[in-house]
Amino acid sequence: MSRIAGLRPRVGGLRPRAPGFVALGLGALALVTFPYWSRDWESSRYATTVLRDILVFAILALSLDLLMGYVGLPSLGHAAFFGAGAYAAAIASQRLETEALFVTLPAGVLVATLLALGIGLFAVRASGIFFLMLTLAFAQMVFSFAFQATDITGGSNGFAGVRRPELFGISFSAAEELYVLVAVSFLATAFVLWRITRSPYGRTLVAIRENERRMRALGYDTRAIKLSAFALAGALAGLAGALSAYSLRFVSANDAGIGTSITAFVMVLIGGAGTLAGPAVGAAVVILIERVLNSYIPFSQTVLGVVFVVFVLAARQGVVGAARTAWARARG
Amino acid sequence: MSPELAFLQALNGISFGALLFILAAGLSLIFGMMDVVNLAHGAFYMLGAYIALSVVRTTGSFWVALVAVPLALGALGLVVEPLLLRRLRGRHLDQVLITVGVALVITDLIRLKPDWGAEVRTLPPPDALAGSIAILGNDYPVYRLFVIAFGVTLALSLAALHRRSRAGALIRAGVDDAQMLSALGVDTDRLFAVTYAIGAALAGLAGVVAAPVLGLQPGMDVEALVLSLIVVVVGGLGTLGGAQVGAALVGPADTFGKVFVPQFALFFIFAIMALVLLLRPSGLLGRIRVIR
Amino acid sequence: MSRSTTTNELAKRRGYTYRLTRRQFLIASSAAALAACGPAATPSGAPATASAAATAGKPLKLGILLPFTKVYAELGNSMKRSADLYIKSKGGKFANRTVPAPIYEDEANDPQVGLQKTQKFIDQDQVDVMLGIVATPIAYAIRNVVDSAKLIFIETNAGGNALTRATTDCKPACKSKYIFRSSFTSWQISNPIGEYMASKKGVKEAFTFVSDYGFGTESQADFTAGLTKGGGKVTGTLKAPLGNNDFLPFVTQLKAQPTKDIYSFFSGTDAIGYIKAWNQLGMSAAGYKMNGAGFLTEQDVLKEVKEQAVGAITSLFWAVTLDNPENKAFTDLYQKEYNLLPDVFAVQQWDGMRAVDEALQKLGGDTSDKDRFIRALEDTSFKSPRGDFAFDKDTHNPIQDMYIREVKVVGGQAVNVISDKIARVQDPGK
Repeated sequence: MSRIAGLRPRVGGLRPRAPGFVALGLGALALVTFPYWSRDWESSRYATTVLRDILVFAILALSLDLLMGYVGLPSLGHAAFFGAGAYAAAIASQRLETEALFVTLPAGVLVATLLALGIGLFAVRASGIFFLMLTLAFAQMVFSFAFQATDITGGSNGFAGVRRPELFGISFSAAEELYVLVAVSFLATAFVLWRITRSPYGRTLVAIRENERRMRALGYDTRAIKLSAFALAGALAGLAGALSAYSLRFVSANDAGIGTSITAFVMVLIGGAGTLAGPAVGAAVVILIERVLNSYIPFSQTVLGVVFVVFVLAARQGVVGAARTAWARARG
Repeated sequence: MSPELAFLQALNGISFGALLFILAAGLSLIFGMMDVVNLAHGAFYMLGAYIALSVVRTTGSFWVALVAVPLALGALGLVVEPLLLRRLRGRHLDQVLITVGVALVITDLIRLKPDWGAEVRTLPPPDALAGSIAILGNDYPVYRLFVIAFGVTLALSLAALHRRSRAGALIRAGVDDAQMLSALGVDTDRLFAVTYAIGAALAGLAGVVAAPVLGLQPGMDVEALVLSLIVVVVGGLGTLGGAQVGAALVGPADTFGKVFVPQFALFFIFAIMALVLLLRPSGLLGRIRVIR
Repeated sequence: MSRSTTTNELAKRRGYTYRLTRRQFLIASSAAALAACGPAATPSGAPATASAAATAGKPLKLGILLPFTKVYAELGNSMKRSADLYIKSKGGKFANRTVPAPIYEDEANDPQVGLQKTQKFIDQDQVDVMLGIVATPIAYAIRNVVDSAKLIFIETNAGGNALTRATTDCKPACKSKYIFRSSFTSWQISNPIGEYMASKKGVKEAFTFVSDYGFGTESQADFTAGLTKGGGKVTGTLKAPLGNNDFLPFVTQLKAQPTKDIYSFFSGTDAIGYIKAWNQLGMSAAGYKMNGAGFLTEQDVLKEVKEQAVGAITSLFWAVTLDNPENKAFTDLYQKEYNLLPDVFAVQQWDGMRAVDEALQKLGGDTSDKDRFIRALEDTSFKSPRGDFAFDKDTHNPIQDMYIREVKVVGGQAVNVISDKIARVQDPGK
């Protein structure tokens, strides 16, 4: 997965050969079945939860990377769509009294998409720091709605008792099954993004990032294309949000808050913007440092800060970029 | 709302606006010169406030802190810029990112320092400014009036420096075209280091002046950063006038927003910012800059 | 559903030795790799058998979830100090169970993080009892998790009413037989003082000013109900957004309205900002009176605002000046250990630890039967630094005295002086 979507220096990328595909397939299978083959270890359950949370955030980071890495739109409000997806899935399940996955999950994705279309309509008019601040502003409005609309969202107390979904009689209420749902969603997201970024549409996005004026001169409606990418990113963030709601059975206003936006932002940057594996690696690094390492040392945030500085200085394309460079060097 | 009450609230709003200007000036300066959004600005502000706390505890004087803190933060800026930012010259995004790392480390270290971090602290205003005076027959805190005076003085003196002094000329030239400046034989490394140091010093200064009003607590860094970003974005990035206009608009707007529409208080200033950006995409006084 | 099988599965897995799992773990995933650093810091414990009766004599694993970062960090530190001190004062033993250092986790004032750490306590650490949690939303978030895992949890700070009440559809939370609370409900610290002000102090009108989030709104509603019951009425309400940084505009508004008695709920930073603005605008001189739930003038606030809070009347279940032998012993011990005055958060944590200790004494240290453990906790009552402490058997919330306190300067220091007491306050439970 690490060499798809080559960016910056090499647009296009190499084509994984057959052995590559086999290895990738085996890796994916191992990932999805983790709770089953690790079952006998004492820490299997805990590792499963940690891995599940990493994958949820990896989806969020991947979706943000579509904006940051490909279209060059640094959003500091991506949590709005994550939160919208989480609330929508939770509320749909409660109001419609259903646990059906094909109801609640689309509800989450749909609401997030619509919200992204609405916000994107204004936000994509700006770029750079102005885009960043506009997305922050809109996300803050979404957050305060979630925080204050107690009748709908549970307000500052949060939305408790989210039901885990079921699909055609398969229940995802147990930790293992839910994990599989999350892992499959992650792989599906990665696959979709892989296809998209390699498609003519994906190249258009990169071209807009590189030179929007030229693209406009060539007759592309760049604003509409950027809006479509924004909506797509919102939809995937909504998917992550819905999965988070199922996982935690709880949605808090924080899920739509600036803290979550910053976390996603940092994940993309650490892993490397403009790569597919990068955001996933970033999600793993951040969750491991902030939520696992912090059980053992009191200064985990300092570690995160230092990691950040080191990666910006030493590996400007993030963990994945650095690995790729090292690999290329090793091969001569 | 009676005229008297409106006047008092306007005064509150102006003093908050003055505070916001002090807060945003450093951020605006660094951006204007270096094209770097210094996301460590909030952490510098927080560090300034906590150093002030220690200085006041040891020396008992607010005024010593008002001088010492900007010097300390300036020195820190002189270390951070050459050590981290200079290596990334020409890579603006990376320069922005590295300031995030700096911020994470600084705020975590503040938290871990036993007599600083975790607790909620206040910094009392100096005795001379601690009381209240009567305005329209109402008590009004002298310190708030001091904040207004301080903010206005700072704005005027920065503007004078900007327009009249050699340093100001260099900065103006640097904002317009740093490369040309370098070609003309100006040591831009030094210029950037000094600019960054001044920006950090201003953040520290804001920490001292704001501490008696806003207090010291974990999380103050992000709040300050977001507020100053709003101010500079509303006013127009990278120009001193922009920070002034932004602060003058956002301060009173926030105050009146809280009082009139408290249910929207959480995002009132964000809504204003969004509105300004939609009408004037580069801020009220901003020039369209193409940064690629 | 399959949650109910959790305990059995865990018991089965306990048969594995530690070393083997750790090696497998390292190979497994990067997630696990970091987690495996853990046992250095956590009591790994000898391999145990799953047989039920064997828990007596085994070390007692306590998992304590507190904020050590973000705005409530100091509360977390205070409660950790108290928990450590309690264990030390008992020589590291509750009944016949040794009590090693508890496993502390940081909830970072975020429900997501709190949930994840709770899951760690359940799945990874397999703690016997969980305690802690400062913020109400986090307590609500983990409610279902501890309930379905049948993990006994003692809430040692959060005061949201719903955690120990019967509510419709369990929204936003509801009582659980596995959840006890050693702190308070917002009803307990807000309603009685309202009734007291109206019926005993002749306050017929009051104006409320609270934080605009769940807890502030709850406190305001409970106070209003109490005042109304006592024959008074609330003339108006003002709400400040959470994390509001400038209180001057709000206090300016308060001063522009005629009702003199102001009731408010704020704590920490907000309380400090409010009290300072109150003084700067000369509210007391203009005849306004500050009233509130006790956190408005607790030590963390008083040490910063000092005599600026003089005259404020609040209700709480404890004050450092409370005159009883248990409080004296507790404050002396705490001061000797840390050279600090204890605060109310330390008391809540202390009583939470005490309740576990007392229940273990009753059980002879055998915690294997959860229902017996719960009954033992329900029957626990003792003399706490706050006075008589007992759990309400129905809700698991403490039945406790509320003290009416006024901030006065005693010996050059601003302290809460107790002026009256409302005995045995019991949350209505629904």
